Amino acid sequence: MSEIVAETIASKELADDSISSKKTKQDIPLSKRVSGWDYAWIAAFLAPFLILYVSFTIYPLVATVWYSFHEWNGSGALDEFIGLQNYIDIAQDSSFWLSFNNTIVFAVVNTAIKLPLSLLAAIILTQRWMWFKRIWRTVFFAPLVIPVALAGLVFDFLLNSRGALNDVLTTWGILERPIDFLGTPDTALITIILISVWQIFGQYMIYWMAALQNVPESLYEAASIDGANEWDKLWQVTLPVIRPVATIILFLSFVNALKVFGLVAATTEGGPGQSTYVVSYFIYNQAFRDMPFRYGYASAAAVLFGVTVLIAITLQGYFVRRAQH
Amino acid sequence: MKNSASRLFKPGRYFGVNIAILIVLLIIGFFWIYPFLWVVFSSLKTQRDMFTSGAQLIPETWEWGNYVRAWTEANFSTYFLNTVIYASAATAIEVVKSSMCGYVLARYRFPGRNLIYGVILATLFIPIASIIIPQFNLIRSLGLLNTRFGVILALSGGAGALYVLLFTSFFETIPEELFDSAKIDGANFFQQFWLVVPLARPIIATVVIFQFMSTWNEFNIPLVFTLSRPELRNLAVGMYAFQGEFSVDWTGFAAGTSMSIIPVLLVFFLFQGYFVRGLQGAVKQ
Repeated sequence: MSEIVAETIASKELADDSISSKKTKQDIPLSKRVSGWDYAWIAAFLAPFLILYVSFTIYPLVATVWYSFHEWNGSGALDEFIGLQNYIDIAQDSSFWLSFNNTIVFAVVNTAIKLPLSLLAAIILTQRWMWFKRIWRTVFFAPLVIPVALAGLVFDFLLNSRGALNDVLTTWGILERPIDFLGTPDTALITIILISVWQIFGQYMIYWMAALQNVPESLYEAASIDGANEWDKLWQVTLPVIRPVATIILFLSFVNALKVFGLVAATTEGGPGQSTYVVSYFIYNQAFRDMPFRYGYASAAAVLFGVTVLIAITLQGYFVRRAQH
Repeated sequence: MKNSASRLFKPGRYFGVNIAILIVLLIIGFFWIYPFLWVVFSSLKTQRDMFTSGAQLIPETWEWGNYVRAWTEANFSTYFLNTVIYASAATAIEVVKSSMCGYVLARYRFPGRNLIYGVILATLFIPIASIIIPQFNLIRSLGLLNTRFGVILALSGGAGALYVLLFTSFFETIPEELFDSAKIDGANFFQQFWLVVPLARPIIATVVIFQFMSTWNEFNIPLVFTLSRPELRNLAVGMYAFQGEFSVDWTGFAAGTSMSIIPVLLVFFLFQGYFVRGLQGAVKQ
């Protein structure tokens, strides 16, 4: 949830970099300079965050990498160092690669459906003349407040062959016989993708709303003086202005979608067969479910997946930037 | 909201557009919240009615007893109290620590600042799946396993990188002159901070809503950290356990779900204005 508004961040950081590289000590304004007791205050202000952050984020990340070089069941002494053996095994584990594929498909399709639709919703729900905006925003936001595990249970109920959706579809004659949407290999993954879009939609709608409010109204006025209609304004004013933020929203959406877990755990548990087996579920199975527990192996899977995706994204970012220049 | 086309239409023209959009939204909106309605109405049905009524929402008879059962027999009152404690405490800690850290990062240039900023930023984008075992081991070695404090610590420990960045970018927009004149007036470090905190209200509201919502719904941490003390569970975990302990009391389950989601929705409905404004400040470049 908390990977929220990194919009800020990337755009910010770029700006920061370009400034700070040129900055020498003399350029730092008086009020930003640090002296004497300030150091103690600064340390005191940083301490609460840093202590918790190092303990609960940095240390666990490092520990995961360390575990991945061990044969370890998650408890007991961590003393069986096996070097890269876990990674060699993972590379030959076909169910890991299957889950890898499923996760990528999930993230790509999910993002491709979610982002344009949530942008559209955000545009409509920020128009001044719209009625009942607060109510509609709350409606689209609502699925976000259902814990994901419960959303899974609800959809299990609604989508099984005797559930509400099949009830409607067969009554209206759209389907001849009911489909168990989550229990059929061909439909399970796409069903989970759609449920996940439904669930997270409101969050991205809010990102877009925040992004849209930075488009100066004067640009729209100028455009309409030039005779632009709503469609032109979308393509020639809105989208170009929000593009930098949009890139970050896209990126966040993709990275977050890669972490899909709760929904799979609560609905299909990776099945039927392995049609919805995703990486985080693979890790969970290895570490906590299949005996004997292989926490070292699971950690290696986590690290391998993380690193692969990070490289892919970085390369993609590099080529996109090159193409733009 | 300030956006766009509004001024370009003549007032009379909104009416038709509004009606058209309204009809579309009513249809989409109905399907969108159907799962909610289904849960809420199921919480008022009898067990048999719930399974046999298909897509039908309205119960045959209204069973308010489901709520009583969920609240008393299934310990929802305890879970509810726990959830309120976890969510409030974690949110308070989050606001305090991330505002202080963000303030310092924005205000001062000191050795190590860029490193701290860079690491916080980088961890935000690491697509790694699960780090709960090291967290678990840490809490266990602190002797805080199966305590409320342990849960709160874990809930507020992991999150927050993004919040720091929100605060940093906000505090950077505050003009230097404000601090300079405060300094001349003899304000110390803390007083200067206290002076600008009220200005950050939109960011605080954003952090409160995001953090409150996510801790309210948090499942993994309370599950793993309270395994041997069921009375410390929050609503999400308690509801999950509901299936096991009772011969799957689905209608009671639906009642419990309804109780846990309605407060959060209410918070959003009331504070959404702040929410968007907080983010908006943050995305300004």
